[in-house]
Amino acid sequence: MANQYYLNDALKARAASQVKEENAEIALDDVSRVKVLSPARQVFKRFIRNRLAVFGSVLLIVMFVFSFLGPLFYAYGQKQIFYKYDRRTVNYAMAKENTTYNGYDIDESVTVERSVNNAMNSRIKSMIADGRTEMVELGESGGYLIQKLADEIYTLSAVDLTHICSVGNSTAVIGTYSQVTRAIDYRGAAVEGLAEAIAANLKGTSGTVTYEGVTYTYTRAEAKNYTITATFDGLRYVNAPMDTGFETAMNTALDEGADSFTYRAQKYVLVKNGNAYDVYRQGKAAPARVFTRLTADTFTMGAPVSTELRVNALLAAAKGGRFTADGRDWTVTDEDGMLVVRDESGSEYMELSVFSVRRYTGEDTMDYDLKKAVAERVEEMLSSGVKSAAMTYNLPMQGESGEYLYDENGVLRYQEAELKLDQRDTGEFVITAEQTIYVIDIYASPSARHILGTDGDGFDVLARIMYGGRISLMVGFVVVFLEIFLGVIMGGLAGYYGGWVDMVIMRLVDIFYCLPSMPIMIILGAMMDALRMNTYIRLMIMMAALGIMGWAGVARLVRGQILSLREQEFMVATEATGIKVRGRIFHHLVPNVMPQLIVTATMGMGGVIITESTLSFLGLGVKHPLATWGTMINSVSSASAMAHYAFIWIPVGLLICLTVIAFNFVGDGLRDAYDPKAKR
Amino acid sequence: MLKYTAKRLLYSVLILFFVMFIIYTLMYNMPMGYVETKARELASRPGATKSYAEWLADLNAQYGMDKGVVQGYFVWLGHAVRGEWGDSWAWTLPVTTEFHNTVWYSFALGLISFIFEILIAIPLGITAAKKQYSFTDYFTTVVSMICISMPTFFLATLLKYIFSVKLGWFDLSGMQGRNYMNLSDFGKILDVAKHFVLPSITLIIISIGGLMRYTRTNMLEVLNADYIRTARAKGVPEKKVINYHAFRNTLIPLVTTLGGSLPGLFSGALITETLFAIRGIGYASYTSMTQADIPFIMFYLAFISILTLLGNLISDLLYGLVDPRVRLS
Repeated sequence: MANQYYLNDALKARAASQVKEENAEIALDDVSRVKVLSPARQVFKRFIRNRLAVFGSVLLIVMFVFSFLGPLFYAYGQKQIFYKYDRRTVNYAMAKENTTYNGYDIDESVTVERSVNNAMNSRIKSMIADGRTEMVELGESGGYLIQKLADEIYTLSAVDLTHICSVGNSTAVIGTYSQVTRAIDYRGAAVEGLAEAIAANLKGTSGTVTYEGVTYTYTRAEAKNYTITATFDGLRYVNAPMDTGFETAMNTALDEGADSFTYRAQKYVLVKNGNAYDVYRQGKAAPARVFTRLTADTFTMGAPVSTELRVNALLAAAKGGRFTADGRDWTVTDEDGMLVVRDESGSEYMELSVFSVRRYTGEDTMDYDLKKAVAERVEEMLSSGVKSAAMTYNLPMQGESGEYLYDENGVLRYQEAELKLDQRDTGEFVITAEQTIYVIDIYASPSARHILGTDGDGFDVLARIMYGGRISLMVGFVVVFLEIFLGVIMGGLAGYYGGWVDMVIMRLVDIFYCLPSMPIMIILGAMMDALRMNTYIRLMIMMAALGIMGWAGVARLVRGQILSLREQEFMVATEATGIKVRGRIFHHLVPNVMPQLIVTATMGMGGVIITESTLSFLGLGVKHPLATWGTMINSVSSASAMAHYAFIWIPVGLLICLTVIAFNFVGDGLRDAYDPKAKR
Repeated sequence: MLKYTAKRLLYSVLILFFVMFIIYTLMYNMPMGYVETKARELASRPGATKSYAEWLADLNAQYGMDKGVVQGYFVWLGHAVRGEWGDSWAWTLPVTTEFHNTVWYSFALGLISFIFEILIAIPLGITAAKKQYSFTDYFTTVVSMICISMPTFFLATLLKYIFSVKLGWFDLSGMQGRNYMNLSDFGKILDVAKHFVLPSITLIIISIGGLMRYTRTNMLEVLNADYIRTARAKGVPEKKVINYHAFRNTLIPLVTTLGGSLPGLFSGALITETLFAIRGIGYASYTSMTQADIPFIMFYLAFISILTLLGNLISDLLYGLVDPRVRLS
C-alpha cells in the first residue's frame, strides 16, 4: 500500500512547498529577481515615463475624439447655414409718376418691327413736345402710324404707304450695276441708256456720271457690282406721274409746313428725308398696339387685369363709355385725369392713373387704400415742397420669425406701422418701414447657441472645426501611409539588391529630394483651379501628390538600415532556410526598420498637416464648402476680418499648432523609447 | 578632393536635368488652353502689336509646345543653357530683370533672419544641453517644438494681429509707409527696415526650433564623449570644457548644415513674403505660379533646384574640410 498514490497528500505537499518557496529568501543571483518585460512593454514603459510624450498622446486622443466622434454628437453640420430674424428698416415701397409708355397688344396678328416698337417711348414724347396728334414712322419693311387717342393714350398701327414722289434736292438709290452683265438691275423705273453711259465712264471704286442732266454716283458695293445713286433736283415721281391738281395740293401743304394733305379723298403724307420730302399715299391702317403711361390699380388687391380689359378700357376711354372685355360689360369714365373702370353692376373695379405705388421689388401686392394714402401724402409733400415725411398705416402684422400673422378666421392681422417717405433726387418717392426679416446669421459672436460663433457664410465655426480636423487628420494619415508604402518598397529593393538597382533608385531619390515640393503643390493647385475640379477630386490629387513627393526620405532611411541589417547572421539563416526574396525583404528586414518607420511617420504627420493647411490657406488646396482648418483661417485673413473676427481664426490656428505639436511630442517620445541611446 | 567635387558636380547636373524634365512635363501638361488664354489676353491688351494667332504661334514656338514633351524640353534646355529665359507673362519683363528686381529683397530678409537665428538658437541649444533634464532644458525643448509646429501663415497672422492691429506698431503689409516719398534717404532705409521687422520675426521663429534642437542634440552627444570625461577627470575647469573642448566639436555638424543652408538665403520665403507683401522672389514666384506664368516659374524652379543641389554639395564639402577625420572619396 506504500506505493499507493493519495491525491490529497500530493496536493497538500504541493501547497506546502509553494508556501515555502514564497517565503524563501531570494538569492542575489536568482534569475527570478529579474522581471523580464517583453520588448513592446519595455518601449511602452519608457514611453509613458516621458511626460511630454504622454501629454502629446492625450492631446492626440482628444483631437481624434473631437474630430471623428465630435460631429456625431454635435447638433450642427459643416454646411448648415444659420439664419436669424432681424428687425431692420427696409425699402417697403416706391411711389412715382410713370415716365415711360408701355405698349399692350390690340391685335397680335399685326406684326410690329422691334425697332419701331422700341422707339415708341421717344416718338410719343417728341409728338407731345411738337404738339402733334399723328405721326408717320417708316420702318424697314413698311410704314407705321402713331395716333393720339386721348391724353396718355396712343395707338400704333401698321399702315400701307405707297411712295408717289420726292420733292426737293433728293438722292435715291436707283439700282445696282453689274460689270459682268453690263446692265443695271433697277429698283424703280428704268432709265434707258444709263447702263451704257456708266460702262463708258466706270473707273475706280466710285465716281460720278452725268447723263441726261441728272448726276449719277456709282460706288463699288462688292466685287463687280456697283450701287447707282441718282441726285435729283425738284420733283421726281417714282412711278407714273400724277396730275397737276395733286402737285398744287402738295405744294400748298409744303408751303404750310403741314405733314399731310388730302387730295381726291386720298390721304397723302410727307416724310422729310434729308433735304427733300418723300410723298406717300396712305392706305389702310391696322391698329397693332396701344401705348400708355397709365398703370392699373385694382380696388381689391390681386384682382386680375387681363390685357384685353386694359386695352379695351384704354381704347374706350378715348371714345368715352362702354366696352366689353373678357365677356363682360364695363364702363370707363375719366375722373380728373384718372380713368375709373366699373363693372356691369356699377361698382369700381380698377383705376388707371399715371401715378403708381408699388412694392419696392416691383410687385403689386399693396392694398388699394394704402396706395391711395401714399398717393395723397405724396401730393401733400409735392404741394408743400418737403422732401421727406412720415405717415402711419396698418401694415400686415409679422411674428417673431417674420411670418405674417392671421386671426382665427384666416384673415391677415394688421398693426400700426410707421412709414417714412423720402423723395429721391430723381423724383421718385421711397417708402421705408421697419420689418422683421430673415437673414443669414454671419459673423455671430460666440454665444450659447454657437460656442465659437458663426463665420462669413453663416456656418457654425465649432462644427466646421470638427469636420476640418477630420480632413486634416485624414490627409495626414493617407499621405504618410503613401510615403511609407512607396519608401519601404523602393528603399527595401535598393538596400537588398544593391548594385545597379540601388544606383538607379538612389538617383531617383536624389531627384525627388531636389524637387521643390511647395511650388509644385501651388502650381498643381492653380492648375486644378483652372480646370474647376470637384473639391473631393482635388483632395485625392493633393494627397497623392504629397505622398509621391515625400517618399524619398523614407526610402533613404529604409535603405540605410537594410544595408547594415542584411550583413547580419539572421539574414544568412533566412537564405539558408530558402525563404523567398520577397519574404526575406518584407518579413525579415522591414520589421527591423519598423521602429524608425513609426517615428518618421509620426513626425511626418505633423509636417503634412502643416503643408495641407498652408495650401488650403492659400486657397489652392481643399475648396470652400468643405471645411478645413486652412480655409477657415483663409476666410478671415483680410485685414478687417482678421481684426474683427479673431474668435474664428485664433482657435483654429491653435488647434493646428496643438495637433502638430502633439504628433511631434509623440514621435520624439517614441524615438527615445525605442532606442534610448540614439541621437535625439 | 578635387575629383570628388567634380564627380559630385556631374551628379548634380544629371539630377538637375531630370528634375527640370519632371517640372517641364508638369508645365507641358498644364490644362490645354493656358497658352491659348494667355495668347488671347496678350493679343487683346491695349497696344498689342501681335494678333492672337501670332502670339499663339510665338508662345508655342518659344516654349517648344508645338513639339512633343521630350523635344520641347530640349528646346527649352537649349535656350536656358544660353541664358535665354524669355519674358515673364505676369510681370511683362524679361525673367532675368524681374529676378534682379526681387532677389535682393529676399536675400536681405533671409540674411537678417539667418543671423538672428544663429545668435538665438545656438546659445539656447548649448545651454539646454549643459543642463540636461533641468527646467531650462524642458523649456527650450517645448519652445523649439512649438516653433517647429507653428504654421507660417498662422504665425504671420498672429503677429499682424498683435503688432499691427492691436498695438499699431507696424503696417499690416507692404514694404513702404504711406509717406515714403517725403522721407530723406536715411528715413527711407529706416522705413523699409521697419517693414521688414515682422517678416523677419516670422522667419526667425519658424526656423529657430530646428536649429535649437540640432545644437542641443549634437552638444549632448559631444558631452557624453570620452574625451570630455577625460578633460573633466584631469580637472579642466568646467567653463573651458564647455567652451573649448565641447563647443568646438559641436561646431562640426553645425557649420556643415549652416553652410549648406547658405544658398537657400537667395531662394526667398514664399509664404512669408506673400503674406507681408514683400516684393521678394518668393512673392514674385507665388504670383507667377497662380497666374501660370510659365517662363518665370521654369526659371524660379530651376533656380531653387540649383540652390538645393549647391547646398547639399557645400554641406558635404564643408564636412570634409571642418572634420579632418573625414576623407571624401
